[in-house]
Amino acid sequence: MDIAELKAELETLHSASFGWALQCCRRDRAEAEEVLQTVYLKILEGKACFRGEASLKTWLFAVIRKTAIGEHRKNLLRKLRWSDSSEQATLISPQERPGVTFEKSETRALFQNALKSLPRRQREALHLVFYQDLSLSEAAEVMCISIGSARQHYDRGKKRLRESLGQTESVYGIDWRRKENPGAV
Amino acid sequence: MELIGEEKRIRALFSEARFADEQTVPSFAGAWNRAQAKTVRPTRAFKLSFVAATALLICSVLSLAWWSRHWPQNHDAVIANFPSTASETIQVGQPANNPQPAKVAQHHRSDRARTLQLAARRQAVLVAAGKKTLRDAKAIESWQSPTAKLLDSSSDGLLKSLPQLTQTVKELKSFLGDQPQ
Repeated sequence: MDIAELKAELETLHSASFGWALQCCRRDRAEAEEVLQTVYLKILEGKACFRGEASLKTWLFAVIRKTAIGEHRKNLLRKLRWSDSSEQATLISPQERPGVTFEKSETRALFQNALKSLPRRQREALHLVFYQDLSLSEAAEVMCISIGSARQHYDRGKKRLRESLGQTESVYGIDWRRKENPGAV
Repeated sequence: MELIGEEKRIRALFSEARFADEQTVPSFAGAWNRAQAKTVRPTRAFKLSFVAATALLICSVLSLAWWSRHWPQNHDAVIANFPSTASETIQVGQPANNPQPAKVAQHHRSDRARTLQLAARRQAVLVAAGKKTLRDAKAIESWQSPTAKLLDSSSDGLLKSLPQLTQTVKELKSFLGDQPQ
């Protein structure tokens, strides 16, 4: 596959890639953009080479995942080195940072919070299956794990997400009712 | 049934999130072009730390070479300034009729000279050490205790000298002869 062909394929996958990069960067938009750009750079430099062993989508997602993990590690080291400047950065939550997607819908915000409470692998499995419409075997390939492990992460993640969503909704419902009728005892 | 309903709900939430993300996707062309610009940008051929390390290595090698070249000359100069007794000693040590062969190469000559100078130096050191030992022995021999004078007395001559046998007998006889029988 030459670079022009690859570029066209990447363009069609760009939106999905960005969604996956967002997921890998804990919804940090700026970091996701940086990661995606780094992935394109890797492809252009030939550091990431598609050999046709898997589908382009799973290969690209695996590259994005690895790059995001690497970038996250680098950022952590940078923060450790420059502890003074990182102190301010840690005080500001990702939601308050500029460039991070602001969740307008309240349901969406609740959903994102519930998703964030999940362990990384479970979150990734759910994202790949529900968001990216990948099969479990493809998700396992992207996550570099066996299909059995992927299935376990998927099942556990789904269960925990259900529980988490149920809890938040019940809490929200009580709060809402109190606000609605504060005089009622 | 409830599980399927829950799954559908999760799927709906994910698709809603996807829809929201798609509204804010950055342009592919922008990201691609930025990546391309980064590849086009000439990368630094070498790192500063690498340059510093190489420079340090070259300096050390050069200084080592300079030192190894000049040190023998300095050493020779030191030997040349050594006291003349050493050279004299070596002259004495050498056989008198030992003319240098005319066809010896220049570098052989210098090697030989260096060897001779080293031998001379060694001999001079040995001579100096011998002289010192002699001096020390003399000093020990002539040493006197500071309290030796206090032990002197008038009868030292009598006590320290051995009486002659005949003299003692004569003295005894004369003493006995004088005594009344």
